[in-house]
Parts: sequence; structure tokens; C-alpha cells
Amino acid sequence: MAQDDLGRKAPSVTLSAPPVTTAIRGKANDVELRFQIGSGFHINSNTPAAEYLIPTTLKLDVPTDIVVGKITYPEGEQMSFAFAPDEKISVYSGEFNLTVQVRPLSSMLPGKYEIRGRLRYQACDKAACFPPKQLPVAFQVKVIKAPLPPKPNPAQSPHAHN
Amino acid sequence: MKRDPVVIIVVAMVVALMLVFGFKLARRSKQEAAIGNIQMKSGVAPDFALQSLDGKTVRLSDFRGKPVVLNFWATWCGPCKIEMPWFVDLQKQYGPAGLQFIGVAMDDAGTKDIAEFAQSMNVNYPILIGKDSVGDAYGGVQFLPETFYIDREGKVVDKAFGLKGRDEIEDAIKKILGSGAVAQTQK
Repeated sequence: MAQDDLGRKAPSVTLSAPPVTTAIRGKANDVELRFQIGSGFHINSNTPAAEYLIPTTLKLDVPTDIVVGKITYPEGEQMSFAFAPDEKISVYSGEFNLTVQVRPLSSMLPGKYEIRGRLRYQACDKAACFPPKQLPVAFQVKVIKAPLPPKPNPAQSPHAHN
Repeated sequence: MKRDPVVIIVVAMVVALMLVFGFKLARRSKQEAAIGNIQMKSGVAPDFALQSLDGKTVRLSDFRGKPVVLNFWATWCGPCKIEMPWFVDLQKQYGPAGLQFIGVAMDDAGTKDIAEFAQSMNVNYPILIGKDSVGDAYGGVQFLPETFYIDREGKVVDKAFGLKGRDEIEDAIKKILGSGAVAQTQK
């Protein structure tokens, strides 16, 4: 029947090296992470339409002084497997971006900090699915002090006297 | 601080026992897979003993003499879900001729979740809880679904990797049933 399918290649999901994101202490900052899915494969989106499907999720282990806020997942594209054209599933293929909101505490020392985590995904091609996997994820944020508010110009002060 | 030598000896014995037991288990699992691979190369479907959803031990050899469709699947596998209703129909259609479907769930989900899923799909054939060693014996089962068509003598006559059409599945079933049995089922 299908001896030729033994040569099926394994799926790959990779993270593009993310640039160091500058994050201001005490403020919410967005970090964008770009992932690539190997050609011919798709992974379930974060909201895959059926309960039995494994959603793509990012879990982060953050330094104690950085609060991770909302992780924004893109909407998936609709697709269906062969023989079931009416059963649509929501997937990512090609490239997709996740946005992670990080807020360093006001008391945090300025400097570079690494945030690590795992992207859990489950990949399929047009006819078969592969067991769920976890991709290690790491990115850096450069925490800086909030810029000081502009000082009032004494020359413009109505109380200035010569 | 003084340590009681009896306690130290007991702890050492427990650790030694655990190491020996773990080593034996790992070796047995590797041996099973190796035997399975040898059997697969010679065309014989490797035997296994797996737990069914109701906790019974089921062996492939329990079905010797019957043509068997052995389907590896998982609850998270979309294409597996597409095939399942066909398997249910084909079990009804060819069951009287002796055909037996067996589903092996290669799933991290618990038995309860697998049972609920199978129930929601109206599965009418045994579902067994898979083990990696059984997957290894059948060539690794790197992806799902994978289906093996086993004849009455226990030989693997055909294999399907990935989702196939219902007609292809039915053709493979006819091969393992033999022409006489197929004639009985045709209306």
C-alpha cells in the first residue's frame, strides 16, 4: 500500500535569533518572537477548534523581577485534511510571530537578562501527525531606567527674577 | 553524627534493588523491541501484551487465526480521527468474516481521556494503551496513523503510513481476509 511513505521527513520548528529587546523598568514592553515551520508541515494554532487537538503554547520561566504579561498568538489559517474537507482546523504554517509582554519591576537593576522557556507544539503534514514536541526558547531583554522627565527651564519660569 | 549501620545497609540494599530492577526493565524493553524488529523483518507481526481500556491484558496472539488490522493512533491525531468511523463501519461489515480491528493508542493522555474519545467515536473494536517498546517493535511508529494488515497466520501482509482513503483500506482488508471470506461479506 504505502511503502514509499517510510521516507517521510520529521517536522521542524525553529526560532529566529531574536534581537535584544530594550525594556524600560516599570513599563510594559513587547518582545516579538519569530518562528519558522518546516516546509510541508503545519502545527495547531493556539486555538485549534477541537478539544482533542494540542494547541501551540509558549511557557516562560522568567527572572523574579520581570513580570510576563499577555502572550499574543496570531490567528490560525483554516485548513482540512484529505477526505474530510468540511472539518476545518486552525493551524500555523510557514512563519508566525508571538508577542510577549514583559514588565521589569521598577526596582530591577539595569542590565541584560535572559528569559527562557518552551514552545509546545504538535505538527502534522497532509496525512500524518507527529507526537507533541517542546522547542527550547531563549531571548534577552536589556532593562534600562525610565528616562527622566524633562526639567523645567528656569528662564521660562514666571517666578524668575533678574 | 553517628549513623546506624543497619539503616545504611537497608538503604544500600533498596538502592541496589532499584538499580537492578530498572536495568532489567530497560534491557527487557530493548530486547522486546529487538525481537520485534527481527520478527518484522521476517514478515511476522511482533506479539505484544497491552492493557485494554477496561484493564485487561490483551495479546496480539489472542487473535491468531483471525485477520487483524492493527492501527496505531492518538487522540491528538487529526487524520486518525478521520479514519476511525471507516474502521467502525469496516469492523461491522467484515467482522462476521473474522476480521478484527485493534487500536493502539500511542498517547500521553490518560486511559480515561482515551476511553472518552473512543466512546465519542463509537469505536466497536478493542483499544489498547500503547507502549514505546511495542511501537519500536513495529518499526518505531514515528508518526500516526500507522496501520498494519496481518493475515490469519500472523504475517504482516500490508502497511499504511499516514491517512489513506477508505477504498485503499478496504482493498488491504480483502487481501488479509482472502477471497472466500470476502465473498461471504458481499451483498
